[in-house]
Amino acid sequence: MIQVSPTAWSAMLAHAESHYPNECCGILVGSLDGDRRRVAEAIPMRNAYQGAQEDRFEMDPDELRAADEAARAKGLEFLGTFHSHPDCDAYFSKTDLANCVPWVPHIVMSVKSGKFDHANAFQPNLDQTEAAKEELSY
Amino acid sequence: MAKILIPTPLRQYADKQDSVVISGSTVGEVLGTLTSQYADLKKHLYTDDGRLRSFVNVYVNDEDIRYMSKSETPVKDGDTVSIVPSIAGGLL
Repeated sequence: MIQVSPTAWSAMLAHAESHYPNECCGILVGSLDGDRRRVAEAIPMRNAYQGAQEDRFEMDPDELRAADEAARAKGLEFLGTFHSHPDCDAYFSKTDLANCVPWVPHIVMSVKSGKFDHANAFQPNLDQTEAAKEELSY
Repeated sequence: MAKILIPTPLRQYADKQDSVVISGSTVGEVLGTLTSQYADLKKHLYTDDGRLRSFVNVYVNDEDIRYMSKSETPVKDGDTVSIVPSIAGGLL
């Protein structure tokens, strides 16, 4: 289960809506309590995809490494990621499945006409052949 | 000896350590030793045919080994090896 704090959720909403009609992305950090992922902070990342960003995103590995190091310094763990689907539902696409690291779950946020609509979380398997829906609260 | 930073999602497979100090002269050697010591890590980093998984990026200090000599990239005493996931996606 992923439990997103109000502070983190506000940051995710602002990032997703401000990037509309493009996709946004970011990472989630916090603490692991058994199977419960308590997300304390959402760290917005730049969409580094070289091309049309209405339907693609990519995180810059250098920026990701720096964000992870900053989280480590604060004693927070890398718990997952988030990205938006502009004017589409919050499903886990084939492109998501093929390109998202399966070590952590991923939250997909649907943003329609510039406003948040709904979100789902998914955990891919290691071979990236399927992703199971994961319980999400925010 | 080089310090390998273990990504937080993988620490459960490395006795919950956030870093491991390992000797070796290349990235391939130190990661090979790491995954020998912590066998459960191996499948998360490597495919069954021994290639680094597509979503695994490795840095030596601030340099991405894809732009150096990949697994043959030299590692010196005091270097830090970081394992950084690759994350991308899209609508389709």
